[in-house]
Amino acid sequence: MTAPALLLDKVTKRFGDFTAVDDLSFEVATGGVFGFLGGNGAGKTTSLRMVLDIIRPTSGRIEVLGAAPSREAAGRIGFLPEERGLYRLMTVLDTVVYFGRLKRMSAGAARKAAMALIERLGLEDRAKTPLVKLSKGLAQKVQLATALVNEPDLVLLDEPFSGLDPVNQGVLEDVIRELSRKGSTVIFSTHVMQHAERLCDRLLMLARGRKVFEGTQDEAKAALPSRLTVICRADPKGLPGVATTASLGDAAEGWSRFEITLAPGADPGGLLEVCTTQGFALRGFDIHRPALHEVFIHLVGGDQEIVR
Amino acid sequence: MRAVLLVAAREMRQVLATRGFWVTLLIVPVAIAGALFASTHFAPHLNAAFTLVDASRRYAPRIEKRLTLDYQRDVLRDLSAYVDRWKLASVDPGAAWAQHDAWPPDAEVERFIAAGGVDAALRRLKPRLPADAPAFELPEQAFVEIAPPRGVPTTQGPEAFGRAVAAPMRGEIATPDGKRPFTVAVYIPQNFGEPGVPVRIWTNGRFNEGLIGTIREQLTTALRQNALQGAGLSPDVATRIQTLSAPIQVSEPPADARRSVIVTRSIIPLALVYLLLITTFTTGSLMLQGMIEERSNKLLESVLATIRPSALMYGKLLGLGAVGLLIVVVWSGCAVAGVLSSHNAISDVLRSSLQALDQPWIAPALIFYFLSGYVMVSMLFLTIGSVSDSMQDAQGYLMPVIILIMLPVVVLMQVSLRTPDSPVMHVLSWIPLYTPFAMLSRLGQGVPLAEMLGTGAMLIVFVALELALLGRVFQASLLSTGQPPNPAAFLKLMFQRDSASRSPRGK
Repeated sequence: MTAPALLLDKVTKRFGDFTAVDDLSFEVATGGVFGFLGGNGAGKTTSLRMVLDIIRPTSGRIEVLGAAPSREAAGRIGFLPEERGLYRLMTVLDTVVYFGRLKRMSAGAARKAAMALIERLGLEDRAKTPLVKLSKGLAQKVQLATALVNEPDLVLLDEPFSGLDPVNQGVLEDVIRELSRKGSTVIFSTHVMQHAERLCDRLLMLARGRKVFEGTQDEAKAALPSRLTVICRADPKGLPGVATTASLGDAAEGWSRFEITLAPGADPGGLLEVCTTQGFALRGFDIHRPALHEVFIHLVGGDQEIVR
Repeated sequence: MRAVLLVAAREMRQVLATRGFWVTLLIVPVAIAGALFASTHFAPHLNAAFTLVDASRRYAPRIEKRLTLDYQRDVLRDLSAYVDRWKLASVDPGAAWAQHDAWPPDAEVERFIAAGGVDAALRRLKPRLPADAPAFELPEQAFVEIAPPRGVPTTQGPEAFGRAVAAPMRGEIATPDGKRPFTVAVYIPQNFGEPGVPVRIWTNGRFNEGLIGTIREQLTTALRQNALQGAGLSPDVATRIQTLSAPIQVSEPPADARRSVIVTRSIIPLALVYLLLITTFTTGSLMLQGMIEERSNKLLESVLATIRPSALMYGKLLGLGAVGLLIVVVWSGCAVAGVLSSHNAISDVLRSSLQALDQPWIAPALIFYFLSGYVMVSMLFLTIGSVSDSMQDAQGYLMPVIILIMLPVVVLMQVSLRTPDSPVMHVLSWIPLYTPFAMLSRLGQGVPLAEMLGTGAMLIVFVALELALLGRVFQASLLSTGQPPNPAAFLKLMFQRDSASRSPRGK
C-alpha cells in the first residue's frame, strides 16, 4: 500500500491562549488535487507551515511523503506561500536557479529546469531581467517557478490565485492540472470556491482551526439538503423526503410552481420515483445542484470570509 | 553546510553587484594612491627665503653659523635614521652619524661637518649600501638665505631698506632651491648695540617664529658678551659664562619599552580596531538592510520552506562577513603595497610597525580577536534586522547598541596609547563585548599569555552563547509581523527553548 503524500493525525497548534489548529486529522493520497478550504484565520497557513516544519505542532503527528516534516524533504516539495516576494535585484533566471539549488539540485540541473519552466510560463524574454523590473503578475509567475523548479512530488500552494488576473489564474489552473497529470500531489489552500470547484478531487474544509468536512465534491454537496423546483397541480408537501415547500406562483393552465427542500439524506431521484408510482402529476422537475460556496457557507457558517 | 554556503554566496553576490560596495571598496586604495602621487609630485616646499643685511658687519656670521648648525643637525639626525634603517652603523661605529642621538649637541654636529658632512658620510656608506636602498634625501632647509634683491639699498639705513624690500616680499623670489616665498628681511643697523637701537625685521605677513627666534637669540648672546666684557671679564671667561648650561641626564627605558616603540608597535593592532569598527558597522548595516528587505518583501517563508533558519543566519553571517573581510584585505593590501612602494618617513614608521608581528602568536591572536569581534557585532545587527519591519523599527534598537559599543571603544583607543597599563584597559579586556577591541589595542604593547588565553576562552563562550540566544530570537522573529518585541519579550524569546513554536506576532 502506498504511503499517503501527507498525513496529519490529531494535530493541534496553540500560540499562547490561541488555538490556531485544533485536533486536525486528515490524509492526502498520492496524486490528485486536494483543496484546503477555509476562510481567513481558519488555520490553513499554520497547517501548511507545520507540514513544512517552519513551525512545530503543539501536539499530534505529521507525516510528509512518508516521513516526519523536515528540510530533508525540501527537494521533493514545492511550496508557494501566501505572502509572496523575491530578491528584487536578482534576475529571473538566477532566482529560479537559486531556489533549485536550495532544494538540493545540482547547478546544472537547476539551470536546465529553470530555463524549461521559464519558457513554460512565457518568461523566456525576461530571463535576465531583475525582478524589480517585473510587474506583480510576472513576479508571481517567477515565484511559481521557484516552487516547481525541482519537479516536486508534493506541491503546496497557499492561496495561489490571490493577486493574479483572470488570464494568469487560467494559466495557473492549467499548471496545476498538468502537475496532477504527471503524478504530483497538489494541495492548495484557498478561500475562492470556484477554483476549488474546478480543480479539486478531494476537499478539506476548516473553520476556526477545526475540520468541518473531508471528502469529494459530490460528498460535500450531498451534505447540503437538495433543493428542487417542480411544476405540479398540488402542493407536494407531505410526499416522502420533502422537508419544506414554498409556492412560487402559477405556471398557467392550472399548474403551480413550487420550491422543495428535501430532508437531509433524501435523494431527488427517490422523490421522482415516489411521484411516478403514486401518480403525483408533474410537468416540471428541476434539481438545483448546490455550489461549493453554498456547501461551505452551510458547513462552516456565514461569518467566514470567502469568495464565490 | 551546503545551504549555508549557498546563502552566503547569494548574499555576497548581491552586495558585490551594488555600486555602493565598489565605491566603498575602492575609496581607500584610491585615497592611498592619490596621497602617494600627491606626496611625490605635488609635495609643498616648506622652506622660505630671507635676506640679512648687517650694516654693523659684526653679527651676521654668528647668525649664519647658528642656522648652519641647526640645519646640519637635521641632516645628521636624518642620516642617523637612514644608517639605522639600513644597518650601516658598523661602517664606522665612531662616526657622528652612527650614534643615533635624538638631539646631537653642537660639538657633535661640528664634528660631523668637520668630517666632511653628508657627502663624506655617503661616500663611506656607499659600498655597504643594500641594492634596494633608496638614495639618502637631504632634509629641506627651513630658511634659505638670499642676497638683498637688486635695487634694494643696503647702505642708506633701515627705512630706505624697508621701503624698497616691501615690493619683492609680496611674492616668491629666486633662491638656489628654486622660487620660494620671500618671508623675512632683516636689517641690523650700523650702531646696533647702542641703547634704543633696534634690529629691524620685515615679514610678508607669515610670521616666522623659528628664524626670528634664532636671530634674537644670537643677537642677545652677542650683546651679553659685549656687556660681560665691558664689565671687565676677559672674552674667554665671558664666552664660558655664555655657554654655561645646566647638566641634565635623561634616563630612558630600554629601547623596546620606549613610548615611541610602543606607539609604533601599536599601529597595526589599532588599525585593526578601526577596521573592525568600520567593517562591522558597514557590513552590519548591510545585514540589517538585507533582513528588513527580506521581511518586507515576504520572501522568507519561501526560503524557510527549503532551509533551516540557522542555515539562513549562518549563511548571512558568512556571506556578509566575507564581504567585510574582502574590504579589510583589499584596504590592508593596498596600504601595505603603498608602504612598500614608497620611501618616506611615514612608510618607515609603518614598516617599523610590522615589528608588532615578531612574536609567532601575535598574528593568530590578531586574527582571532578580529574575527570574533566581527561575528559578535554582526550578530547584533542581524538580530535587530530580524525583528524589524523597517529602518524606523530598527532605529529603536540600533542607537543603544551603537552607543554601547562605540563610546567605550573610542575611550579605550585613546587610553591604550596614553596609558597602556591603565586599569580601564584591563577591565575592558575582560568584558566580552569589548574584549576584541581592548585586546587588539593592547596586543602591540605585550599582553601576558595567560590573560590572552583567559579573555580568548571567555570570548569564545560569549560568542557561542550570543549565537545560540540571539539565534532563537532570529528564528522566532523571521515570520512575525507587527511591532518589534519590547525588551521583556526580547528576553523571553532568547530563553524560549523551542523558538519554532513561537506565535507569529499579530497572527
